[in-house]
Amino acid sequence: MAEQAVAEKEEKRRRLEEPTPKLVLTSSPHALGEDSIERVMWSVVLSLLPATLVGLYFFGWDAFQVIVISIASALGAEALYQKISGHKNTIKDGSAAVTGLLLALTLPPASPWWLSIIGGFFAIIIVKQLYGGLGYNPFNPALMSRVFLLIAFPLQMTQWPVPHPLFSGIDARTGATPLGELQVARLMGKGIGKAAELNLWDAFIGNIGGSIGEVSALALLIGGAYLLYKQYISWHIPVSMIGTVLVFSGIFWMINPEKYVNPMFHLLTGGLIIGAFFMATDMVTCPVTLKGQLLFGFGCGLITIIIRMWGGYPEGVSFAIVLMNIATPMIDIYLRPTRYGARKAEVKS
Amino acid sequence: MADSETISSDIAGVETAPAPWLDFKELSQDLTRGLWQEIPLFRLVLGTCPTLAVTTSATNGVGMGIATTFVLIASNVMISLLRNIIPDMVRIPAFIVVIASFVTVTDLMMAAFTPDLHHALGIFIPLIVVNCILLARAEAFASKNNSIRSAVDGLGMGIGFSIALILLGTVREILGNGTWFGIPVLTGTMDLFGYDYQPLIVMVLPPGAFIGLGLLVAGMNKIEANRQKKR
Amino acid sequence: MIRLVIILTTISLIAAVALAKVYDITKVRIAEQERIKTMNGLKAVLPPFNNDIDKNAKEVVVGQDKKGRDIKIKFYTGKMDEKPVGVAFEMIAPDGYAGDIDILMGVSPGGKVSGIEIISHKETPGLGSKISQDKWKEKFKGRSLEEGSKFAVKKDGGVIDQFSGATISPRAVVGAVKKGLELYKKEFSNGG
Repeated sequence: MAEQAVAEKEEKRRRLEEPTPKLVLTSSPHALGEDSIERVMWSVVLSLLPATLVGLYFFGWDAFQVIVISIASALGAEALYQKISGHKNTIKDGSAAVTGLLLALTLPPASPWWLSIIGGFFAIIIVKQLYGGLGYNPFNPALMSRVFLLIAFPLQMTQWPVPHPLFSGIDARTGATPLGELQVARLMGKGIGKAAELNLWDAFIGNIGGSIGEVSALALLIGGAYLLYKQYISWHIPVSMIGTVLVFSGIFWMINPEKYVNPMFHLLTGGLIIGAFFMATDMVTCPVTLKGQLLFGFGCGLITIIIRMWGGYPEGVSFAIVLMNIATPMIDIYLRPTRYGARKAEVKS
Repeated sequence: MADSETISSDIAGVETAPAPWLDFKELSQDLTRGLWQEIPLFRLVLGTCPTLAVTTSATNGVGMGIATTFVLIASNVMISLLRNIIPDMVRIPAFIVVIASFVTVTDLMMAAFTPDLHHALGIFIPLIVVNCILLARAEAFASKNNSIRSAVDGLGMGIGFSIALILLGTVREILGNGTWFGIPVLTGTMDLFGYDYQPLIVMVLPPGAFIGLGLLVAGMNKIEANRQKKR
Repeated sequence: MIRLVIILTTISLIAAVALAKVYDITKVRIAEQERIKTMNGLKAVLPPFNNDIDKNAKEVVVGQDKKGRDIKIKFYTGKMDEKPVGVAFEMIAPDGYAGDIDILMGVSPGGKVSGIEIISHKETPGLGSKISQDKWKEKFKGRSLEEGSKFAVKKDGGVIDQFSGATISPRAVVGAVKKGLELYKKEFSNGG
């Protein structure tokens, strides 16, 4: 016994004298890239900049207010939760700020201040932190929060100011989004109604009613291209999601153009592009494999077009993505990649 | 009856030893089991279907709670009385017949005497039949214990279920409508300060039921965890 | 085996007899409650009356549904001291935002609306659900077909308020009430 105690003491002393180990054993991953969470998050902010600026241009001070309050509220919620729960501070990684910005971009430009505050808190505390924080959330926080707000405050979430570009002198007044017009016409049994008059160029640059960040297809495509170039997202989800919407709406349009609008209308109005490039591709909540991502995008597109054509809401992108978020773990299980060199029999079992 | 002894139940914690006819300590345990330790909704997550559907207001919670408690006590007593007559092989159908009868009685009584509440709860009164709590108590407790203990167990479980319903109904009604038992608590206070309360409509819709229940269960687990820690 | 059958049958039989008894006891009371509900609705949409209104209701077949079954509408005629003061009946607006809206409407002898009551609807809470607010229903009093295009929601150039964010539900109610007035004209044109 005594000998053992001596040996232990010896060992302890030796360790103290040699504080730097020669060999570090850790679990994978071993090769660390340059991309920290922080860096990815700031790139996402950068890619959202064009859409944000277009939103500010068309909707002015109101939109600015919504964006600032949403980001502040998301950051505040993050800080508050970490203070209460005693977990380490992750505010600096920028993920909460990105959530706040994404949330703001999906809100109507003239939404009241308290809407942004409730939205930010719901996104961060309920959707992200209660599930375990960044990386463990099954739903995209910003989008889930938008869905929550839409169901909770249908009135405030469906007040759309008509675009009133800075310095143009046009007064702010409310109108309907193109998809809203379409739904009203459909419910009244009037085919596509006023929606047919939409100027596609206006819709492309963003001169239409809608959420702050979703109106300009052009700005969103620039941002999306940047993310693709930086390889933070792959083409699979955006292409399959948008493709599905185009194909399905195209089929119905060819059958009856009196009753169904053309596919370009579906592409350029509503939140399809911002959803496909910035929301559905959220690393945490979409499938890991490329095959899985194609399936995920297909599902998002299909649910979107079903809701838009026959649903109770004019727009279905947020619901579609949130619904597919739930399916992500299942997609990951069933479309697990084959191990290199594994034989067929092994794969089956 | 020999077979039923082998189906030991983790839920009820039944003693097989013959108990004295009236044992108040035991009875009080039977009563309180349903109030905290095995509170049906929060701890066992039984009976969520009627819970999620009817708790749009605190009043509905009270109504549903009373209806369920009545059926629980009545069917528990009846099943306990019949426990030596009902053959083991047909016990589930027999339990269901007993439960369904009492549910129908409740349904008719409510239609006759509390028409407004009956209208508000609608289809969910007949659906008490499929509330798992009833069959679970019949199977796990009433079929193995005397009728007094079964009645007390039904009462405890019923009260526990009612508390949960009222809590959830309270949360949902206050947030989703600004009122509590129809009294404008939140809308009223906001009015005093000159603000309009914008009700969180989602809370009185189905998603609000899930969010509310989730938060309440989380809170319950947190309290229980703290209690365990103190011990 | 036979024991099982006998016991289960006996239990079911006892249950059935007990239920029949309870049904018997509550039957009258339930019918009475139904009647009170109908009466409350009728009182809300008609001018004061003092006859046994639900005893001389007239049922009229107004058309067929998709399956070829008759659609019947019950007309309740309210009388004050034997003088008719109005007719009440139920109309269904099929084009609500989320399904049918069930409306009870009263029409005075001059063909003017004396009041409406929303019996059931599935409209969005907080938006379309405002159709059941008293303030809004009040606006229907005195409206008639003679007003033409004035009897419509404001968005369509009429006098009935719509709600911000919800025009479909009010429109559906207005449409159904107008249809009801036409029906009234058809059924009671002989001096009614």
